[in-house]
Amino acid sequence: MVSLLRNQKVRNALLQVLYVGSLAGMVLACVMIARRNLAEQGITSGFDFLFKSTGWDVNFSLLPATANDPYWWYFLIGIVNTLFLGSTGLILATIVGTIVGLARTSSNELARLLGRTYVDIFRNIPLILQVFFWYAVITHLPTPRAAHEAFGILLSSRGLYVPIPNVGGVAFAAAAIALIAAIALPVWLGRTSRLNQPVGERLGIQLTGAAAALACAVVILAVGRLPDLALLDFPALQGLNIKGGLRIPPEFSALAVAIAIYGGSYIAEIVRGGFKAVGKGQMEAAQSLGLSPWRVFTLVRLPLALRAMLPILANQYVWLMKATTMGIAVGFTDFFMIVALTINHSGQTLEAIGILMAGFLAINLSLAAVFNRINKAIALKGNQLRG
Amino acid sequence: MNSTLPSGPAVRIEGLDKYYGSFHALRKINLSVERGEKIVICGPSGSGKSTLIRCVNRLEQHNGGRITVLGTELNDDVGNIDGIRREVGMVFQHFNLFPHMTVLENCMIAPMIVRKRPRAEAETTARRFLEKVRIPEQAMKFPGQLSGGQQQRVAIARALCMQPQIMLFDEPTSALDPEMIAEVLDVMVTLASEGMTMICVTHEMGFARRAADRVIFMDGGEIVEQAPPEEFFTSSRNERTRQFLSQVLGH
Repeated sequence: MVSLLRNQKVRNALLQVLYVGSLAGMVLACVMIARRNLAEQGITSGFDFLFKSTGWDVNFSLLPATANDPYWWYFLIGIVNTLFLGSTGLILATIVGTIVGLARTSSNELARLLGRTYVDIFRNIPLILQVFFWYAVITHLPTPRAAHEAFGILLSSRGLYVPIPNVGGVAFAAAAIALIAAIALPVWLGRTSRLNQPVGERLGIQLTGAAAALACAVVILAVGRLPDLALLDFPALQGLNIKGGLRIPPEFSALAVAIAIYGGSYIAEIVRGGFKAVGKGQMEAAQSLGLSPWRVFTLVRLPLALRAMLPILANQYVWLMKATTMGIAVGFTDFFMIVALTINHSGQTLEAIGILMAGFLAINLSLAAVFNRINKAIALKGNQLRG
Repeated sequence: MNSTLPSGPAVRIEGLDKYYGSFHALRKINLSVERGEKIVICGPSGSGKSTLIRCVNRLEQHNGGRITVLGTELNDDVGNIDGIRREVGMVFQHFNLFPHMTVLENCMIAPMIVRKRPRAEAETTARRFLEKVRIPEQAMKFPGQLSGGQQQRVAIARALCMQPQIMLFDEPTSALDPEMIAEVLDVMVTLASEGMTMICVTHEMGFARRAADRVIFMDGGEIVEQAPPEEFFTSSRNERTRQFLSQVLGH
């Protein structure tokens, strides 16, 4: 018996059994305590509440919403709102980060100083303060009567009003996908190795791809157009408020701006690091072949820098996606706020929190999976790299 | 520049000065390289050899004097710089291949974009030069999948694909294992025998003996001595040269 305990394999197995056993015991204890407490408070657990109507309204939704809608539909609205806020924030943060990051690597002294000041300021102020700051700024914009107007877009303290096409929901979504394709296609066509033209000389094919996708978008909009209405619904002042168009509430704008500016300062550092990681030798080789500075940048520097950036960038994106939960601080009905309201109204705390966690896991794991896939696809091959 | 071949030397350097901050890296260098001439530049580290050849295609900017390459003066004129870089190929110590492109793409990218060659022609040229450096079978691999010697030969092929008139070699074998040095030097000797104008910074004295028309010894940013290899190795009058040679050849 003693000699058996001295066996390394037996010891390891025993430790495993103890570990798994105690973990299972703790989970079981938690579940039993929770059940007893819930029963004492007269709360029935389970997911039946998902099919009851909510009885309350949301202040912003991309999907049609009424107080009669069931909880599961509201959760969906929350997820869509979170994805909308997250993707807007990520895209804006990437644009800001790229510009600031490039400024920080530039040879221009002033640009470097500006970039550094930007990063120093916005990276070191808590995100929630920045959200409150931008919310205060946006809600102090002029009233609807004195709204700023440009290109049919109205900006006032009640929100940003943008024209939307008078088309059905399905057609609108399809057109949006076609528009995204119009941007993504040229990028993809520029990189794929299946085409005969070399990278950098595929402009014709890229433009054709973009044009085709744009044409698709136009056709979809024309087909899905609602009868007897102008193609575009412009917002306009009516009485004391603005009617028509799509209203983007101040809460959303404040969050998107804050995430863009705060996230941008982190992404700027990632961009800077990525460009610093590119060996000087590769750039010199490209120069010595007679490639122009622009070609050296697009063909050598940027592709190599992107490879260095992507893994850290994925991390940052997941982080910023989670930052959308700041919505509850200013009252934007993101996924987290919907869950918080659900808990208040239905009392189904554990279930709602469970759904919240599962939702965020699903969003962020898919984001990470997409980035891992891209990373794998563009990873440098071989391990003999030098210089 | 291909159509008009002005007479005169391939490279003429007059009174070249180069500073790094307050450090005087090159002091009043005068050097003329004829067309088809093969020059080997040697000297202790920090003597300015690499700086000198990097000035020839403007990877380093000189601070004084004149550099004329194939009849074009190297100055702030971007057109001149581009024109010269098209005609001057360079091979680096650390190869500096583009790791995200295949060997073939490495060789095709510059001819297609800088020389505006059609893809088919660029590919034919690339395959021809890969054959010349004896690695045609590696065309579809990525640089990271090759050995150091193979990578350096790809780097030579990449430079040759631009069909330059002058080739610069900046310590091409210094980062290689001994058994790979020979394969790179063989390619360089072949190139030399075909009449390419070459300026090589190298410590391979065997290569200097076999291929060079002239050996230049640099020290402290100056050209100390220059002579045909036979004379340079056997009857150098200069004390510093003799000391350097005894260190390089001594074992």
